[in-house]
Amino acid sequence: MAYHNDLIQQAIFLSELNLPNEPKQVDLRRAVSAAYYGLFHLFTTEAAQNWKHRSQRDRFARMFDHGHMKTCSSRVSSRPLPIDPAEIPIATDLKIIADSFVKLQQARHTADYDNSKVWSRTQVWETIAQAEHAIAAWSKIREEAMAQDYLLDLISPKTGRATQI
Amino acid sequence: MILPRGIAQPTELIKQINALTPYPPGVVNFRYTLDNDWSGDPAIFFWITLSDEAARPAVLSQTSRRIMDFVTQRLDPVGQWGLIPYFNFRSQSEQASLKEEVFG
Repeated sequence: MAYHNDLIQQAIFLSELNLPNEPKQVDLRRAVSAAYYGLFHLFTTEAAQNWKHRSQRDRFARMFDHGHMKTCSSRVSSRPLPIDPAEIPIATDLKIIADSFVKLQQARHTADYDNSKVWSRTQVWETIAQAEHAIAAWSKIREEAMAQDYLLDLISPKTGRATQI
Repeated sequence: MILPRGIAQPTELIKQINALTPYPPGVVNFRYTLDNDWSGDPAIFFWITLSDEAARPAVLSQTSRRIMDFVTQRLDPVGQWGLIPYFNFRSQSEQASLKEEVFG
């Protein structure tokens, strides 16, 4: 199974621990973090696949910066849909993916650093569902030029034209 | 630095949020706070309590998607107010047990 899928499965496993009794906060927090990293590693792996030299792909995948990925994804998620009807379904999926990334990243940051926040299973399950939804949407559009532009933009603001949707 | 409209005109924002009622089915309580997100961007955090029926795992994803779409389309937090929206959901029975103030 791909690493991003393993992380989602781990998130589900952790969120269900101790059922039907009250969950432990540590399990819920780690589940949120795993769900975010599922989506994060999907993008880094997908982008690295485009790197010709297989032996350098793990190094390539480490070039990603969380803050820049958020800025890029916020921009994509808030853009209006394109006029061309053929592009609308692709852009709609991409906006779901980008929006989910922004929301999951905030959730992960809270889960990892803010111990005053109390998590519930519903919150965590909704977060995991969002990651799964984004991964499913990505699988539909991953070969599209718009999706590939997004991957490139996630690496750096200096990698060329911004994702057009 | 330009203040986002949601911060500069809070009264207008409150008016707009109050006009969101009636909420979609399944919403038991609807609250929000304004704050910066982890990277310092202005944001609006929604704290939404769902009925236990609407929060069942089998329908939770549909419920939350419907509510997020409803709020995003009606309020347009980013476009109209310069605020990134973040949604937090929990069930009524969870809130009865956890009693977290932000969820009301």
